[in-house]
Amino acid sequence: MNATPSKDKLITRRSFVSWLVKGSLAGSALLGLGALGRFISFGSQPSSPSQVDLGPVENYPPGSRSVATSAAVLVIHDEGGFRALSLVCPHLGCTVSVSEEGFTCPCHGSRYLPDGSLRNGPASRSLDSLRVEVDAQGHLIVYTG
Amino acid sequence: MRPSFYDHLHPPTIPAAQARLRYSLAAGGLAVFMTLVAGVTGILLTFYYLPTPDQAAKSVQQLAFLVPFGWLVRNLHYWSAQLLVLAAALHLLRVVFTGAYKAPRRLNYLLGLGLLVTCILMDFTGYALRWDEGVHWALVAGTNLVRSIPVVGGGLYFAVVGGSQVGASTLIRFYAWHLFGLTLVLLILLVWHIFRVRRDGGIALPPPQARGDTSRITRKELARREGLAMLWAGIVLLGLAILVPAPLAPAIQSGAALPLESRAPWFFLWVQQLLRLGDPFVYGVLAPLGALLLLALVPYITPQRLSVDELGRWFPRGGRNMQVMVAALSAAIVLLSLLGLAH
Amino acid sequence: MHRSLLLASFVLLVVAGLAFWQQSHALAPLAITPSLTGQTEYCLTCHADLPEISPSHPVETFGCVLCHGGEPLALDANLAHSSMRGEANPSDLTVVEASCGGEMCHSGSALADRDHIQRVTSSLQATYAGAIAQMRYTFGAQPDLTPHQGIYAIDGLSAFDPSTETSPMLQQFGSNCLTCHLSAQPMTGEVYNRWTGCAACHSTAPASDSSLVHSLTTSIDYTQCNACHNQGNYSLADMQFHARIDEPSDRLHAYYQPIAQFTQCEYTLACTDCHTRQEVMGDGQIYNNEKEAEYVQCQTCHGTPDSLPLTHTISSEDELALRMAFLNPVIDLQMGDTILVTDKGEPLWNIRVMPGENGGLPSYELFSKPIGERFTFNPVMGSACQQDPTQQASNTCHECHSVER
Repeated sequence: MNATPSKDKLITRRSFVSWLVKGSLAGSALLGLGALGRFISFGSQPSSPSQVDLGPVENYPPGSRSVATSAAVLVIHDEGGFRALSLVCPHLGCTVSVSEEGFTCPCHGSRYLPDGSLRNGPASRSLDSLRVEVDAQGHLIVYTG
Repeated sequence: MRPSFYDHLHPPTIPAAQARLRYSLAAGGLAVFMTLVAGVTGILLTFYYLPTPDQAAKSVQQLAFLVPFGWLVRNLHYWSAQLLVLAAALHLLRVVFTGAYKAPRRLNYLLGLGLLVTCILMDFTGYALRWDEGVHWALVAGTNLVRSIPVVGGGLYFAVVGGSQVGASTLIRFYAWHLFGLTLVLLILLVWHIFRVRRDGGIALPPPQARGDTSRITRKELARREGLAMLWAGIVLLGLAILVPAPLAPAIQSGAALPLESRAPWFFLWVQQLLRLGDPFVYGVLAPLGALLLLALVPYITPQRLSVDELGRWFPRGGRNMQVMVAALSAAIVLLSLLGLAH
Repeated sequence: MHRSLLLASFVLLVVAGLAFWQQSHALAPLAITPSLTGQTEYCLTCHADLPEISPSHPVETFGCVLCHGGEPLALDANLAHSSMRGEANPSDLTVVEASCGGEMCHSGSALADRDHIQRVTSSLQATYAGAIAQMRYTFGAQPDLTPHQGIYAIDGLSAFDPSTETSPMLQQFGSNCLTCHLSAQPMTGEVYNRWTGCAACHSTAPASDSSLVHSLTTSIDYTQCNACHNQGNYSLADMQFHARIDEPSDRLHAYYQPIAQFTQCEYTLACTDCHTRQEVMGDGQIYNNEKEAEYVQCQTCHGTPDSLPLTHTISSEDELALRMAFLNPVIDLQMGDTILVTDKGEPLWNIRVMPGENGGLPSYELFSKPIGERFTFNPVMGSACQQDPTQQASNTCHECHSVER
């Protein structure tokens, strides 16, 4: 004798339809959210350039440490050539100011040694070094990345 | 368990006759749904729209062609707004033709009329924000119409336009009206209007002893029906938004001559037709205001003829004179609009 | 109730999917930001395979909208093209100022030789002032031959309106004979095919299959000029244009009409080798006759029995001659080169003086403008020419030197 399957194992027509309805509505909601996400993430303005022209090389004579005017960068010209130190504080992005002991961030007080390494402060890493090159016109180009 | 705020949006049960589609056409509910869609899509549009004369049309084109689903948001906004005006008008006609303006619903009728006017003004200010050649005529003619009002016309024009002629300050003022000023008015009137519906006993019906059908439905069932109606309305709205794009035209160039073929937006075509007859103040301001006044007087002209036992169905005999008047007025407006289209 | 709910939610899902499908099929936009305007344009989304219009108008610098107008952000063709200037031809004289004009472009100062638009719009070819004045004088509408009217109003001329003329001959003139000025649509026929405005000369003719033509050129051969010139005559008797009926098969016979008298160089060279910028594009003055505007004669290049042609040595980097040679590279002109010059001072920059051997008479080399073919020639001085030195107009040279057609 075959026992009739218990109602627990069967899906009633009502609950099947209910799941279909919920599934379709959920699908539409997901599509809607997806569309909303894409709508909001459109970037209408071009992002800031990844490389900046710092001007003629002559503006950075040997032995100088100068803050560039067109980017938050310190240009160092020593025996090893040109180096660039980013003046953007790795904590929350303020521009650090140059002090006698190195650099200090005016926002939350992070301090760095003259070579950019972290001395103290809420920041957790040192100032970034950036790639810098001289181009064909004799201008210094820094790659802000 | 004590009912939540959501539960309080509807009474625990309502007479089944109030929820009948054939009676109410769900026109008022549709209008609320369209308002919601227009509001949400409107907020999304402000993420990209720029309200200055040289950027406005450009930002609209950016939305239409470059922002992912920008075309969809814009078209949804356009269609929900036009369907809102149509649903509100349909709702007004339903209320008049079912006598649902009878006391104690007379104040609510006036609130509803105020909502219709606010919706039309929202439609017009939103239309102007495109700042392209398609709206240039309506902007110039519409603002000059304000100037034609005697005594206060000049001052009113300056307040609307923000200067001696249509320009950047006009655009920002229309933007302020469309986003904040009129929205505030709309919200206040809408909340008051819906509150009054509850306070006046829901959708108009004869008193309980005179009713034929005494069955009731729960608020859960009502919510289900409303949800279903919103689904179908949403489908129609989405379909329209996908198949029929909102209008676009090149930006207004200052100094450019107005295009030869200049048409008012569809909801003002009847006013444009009237204006062909003569004096702008008489035909463009007094006549439409006269129509509005006629509509406002409906609950106050011979109210005693309409008996409370006649409510709950279409074309009660006691309200016959008002039905004829409103039908004639609507027919006139529709006819004028069609004439305007054909021009 | 449940059935309706199921149907509604399913249809909603389908419609939402349709919206996604629509988005995925939207045109992938191709942007350029030309350096002159800094405004991003998306015309290349559909027009990426259009050729560069000319080496001096690179698309990275100019973009499309600066010259053509139109809606830079629209990806819908109708909207994008709706505000274009002059439809397919932004150089049409009604819109040329907005398209090609500007201090640094083609309507700047005469001193810098940047006043092309001012000169062209007042030239005979654009105003037709000469023909109109002659006709109106002939039929009694004006008492003198001074130009008073042109095709459009400019510089003291009012617009010629045949409907206000009382003489029926002038009205017919208005309907039949105004087909060859720069604003006129060309007559029907393959040979008359040309654009209006600047493109009438500086662009290859419209394609017969209406495919897009996108080129500006300084290399203009006689066939381009012959879209209007040498194709027939207007008859005063019946106020009609009578097209030439011969069917020429070579350059000698095609160049001019059967009635013309011309020398060898007049059909071997291009029109633009002799007819200078000022002659063709105008010099800013309103003339009433071709004869006054065309002043170059045989002696301009060949001299007379008594005198050599006028010359000029290039001494400055920003001389017009050097700019012209750069734009039309048929001759490698250098500082210090000596070129011929007209009696109005216009440089004939494609004709260079070659000093004579042992201090003798110089000879000249000419590089024909369309394709740079090189010709050499000697001056009249020292040759066997018997012509009276005081009678040196070109038609006297024709007496002996015209070729047999």
